[in-house]
Amino acid sequence: MTASPPIRLTGLAKQFGRLRAVDGIDLTIDRGEVVALLGPNGAGKSTTIDLALGLSTPSGGSAELFGGRPRDAVVAGRVGAMLQGGALLPTTTVVESVALVAAAHRHPLPVAEALARAGVAAFAKQKVARLSGGQLQRARFAVAIVSDPELLILDEPTAAMDVEGRRAFWTSMRDLTGTGRTVVFATHYLDEADAFADRVVMMSRGRVVADGTPAEVKAVVAGRTVAFSARAPLGDLPERLRRLPEVQLVEVRGEHLRVASTDSDAVLRLVLGERSDAHDIEVTARTMDDAFLALTSAADAEEAAR
Amino acid sequence: MNLHYILLDAVRQLRNVRSVVLTFLLPIAMLLIFGSAYGSGGAVDQATGLPWLVETTVQMGGYGAMMAGLSQAFAIVNERSIGWNRQLRLTPLTGSTYLVSKVVAALLVAAASILAVVLVSVLVLHAHLGAPQWLAAGFGLWIGIIPFALIAILIGQHARPDFAQPLFMVTFLGLSILGGLWVPLSILPSWMGNVAQVVPSYWLNRLGQLGAAGSGDVLVPALVLGAWTGLLSALITWRYRHEAARA
Repeated sequence: MTASPPIRLTGLAKQFGRLRAVDGIDLTIDRGEVVALLGPNGAGKSTTIDLALGLSTPSGGSAELFGGRPRDAVVAGRVGAMLQGGALLPTTTVVESVALVAAAHRHPLPVAEALARAGVAAFAKQKVARLSGGQLQRARFAVAIVSDPELLILDEPTAAMDVEGRRAFWTSMRDLTGTGRTVVFATHYLDEADAFADRVVMMSRGRVVADGTPAEVKAVVAGRTVAFSARAPLGDLPERLRRLPEVQLVEVRGEHLRVASTDSDAVLRLVLGERSDAHDIEVTARTMDDAFLALTSAADAEEAAR
Repeated sequence: MNLHYILLDAVRQLRNVRSVVLTFLLPIAMLLIFGSAYGSGGAVDQATGLPWLVETTVQMGGYGAMMAGLSQAFAIVNERSIGWNRQLRLTPLTGSTYLVSKVVAALLVAAASILAVVLVSVLVLHAHLGAPQWLAAGFGLWIGIIPFALIAILIGQHARPDFAQPLFMVTFLGLSILGGLWVPLSILPSWMGNVAQVVPSYWLNRLGQLGAAGSGDVLVPALVLGAWTGLLSALITWRYRHEAARA
């Protein structure tokens, strides 16, 4: 018997006016997986999460949770979520907030247990307005788990936390997910995805541009960018650079060239061997934004070739 | 309907500072000022046949109760802007339960406010009225605030946070003055008395006065307030469906 996967997105799309925030996502997440949704701001992570939870209606495709409508899974208490911009009331205490949400659920955990599991018991009697950033996120986490959900969706759960807070947060997450829970979290920290997920789905411009183990995704991001200017026209050099096996992106702006590659040595050898007029040469470690750009333009090129 | 949630949310609001100031302290302060201004010596208002002091008590009770209803607008606008609503949408709670919880919260805060005003009137200002009449007046004011809670929900559904405050003030001032909750209509220009006939706060006050007078002639106020309730409910439902369809 194969149970329905916690999340199945099929051709999922969302259009806001002229902006296609989510542009055809196919993604299945199986029971027990801990998946990082990695991408820069504006990649469509939060919109995808809203669609998956049934908080907004897709313009195309479908989102299923446990083989059914998202709302049914929510009503059954099988999904818990920490949303961006889903905050607690400042005038209530932590324990009141958790109790309110618990009251709204059909079969909640005892409030005290939710508080203990989220590690917020120490400041449970404090007003939400007086919590530190890290404490607030933990309080929101307590609210997210009070229905004892099988699937947890966390949208940038460690935003506003310092490094120490992040580590503590993920440690308590590990304890919770040890029991076969499925976790999906959005982040724009590669190190966080690397350390805590066993699968990384990279999103850019509303699409999935890479999907694999953290090691695979890190390799994609690991490259360098070589940039230089030439005094004479570049001729067919950009074309030949594109044909190098490790090159992911070649960007030409007049006499200026930027090449993204996981083998910057090969790029430099080719350029310096042929072009004595190359100057202002720079080799820089790739930022994640560069990696996303490389992946996205690769996906675009693929589509254009089809 | 999730009664547990509804009660928790109502009790939470009762403990909120804003509701204490707006719905308890202000009406009591105004009762203490106006109650002794008009009410000395047990003088009677010829228009209603009620002692001025009782009439002022009913006005202030109605004013506090109306505030309890209208201030739900703040609760809703706040909860929307903070994102608490999004959190609640991840629970089995339905939209209608959420709205009912706001009406129940309004009724709970209103009950406490009416009780406080009447107690001050009796214990401090020594107003004379039989217990059944007080009870009838209080009940009339209490049940009569339902349309005000609905007005608040409508404001809460529409207004952005920065717009809610002025919208609330205009609504609240208009209803208070036109309905004769601050100053008795009998001493205001007569055209205002005509305008008052369509304003729910006038009928809220009237319901309280009839209760205080021990009169059972409540058909007209009940019909007018019922009509307001029906109209507002229809608008709220329409708006709710409209928003859900757009998300």
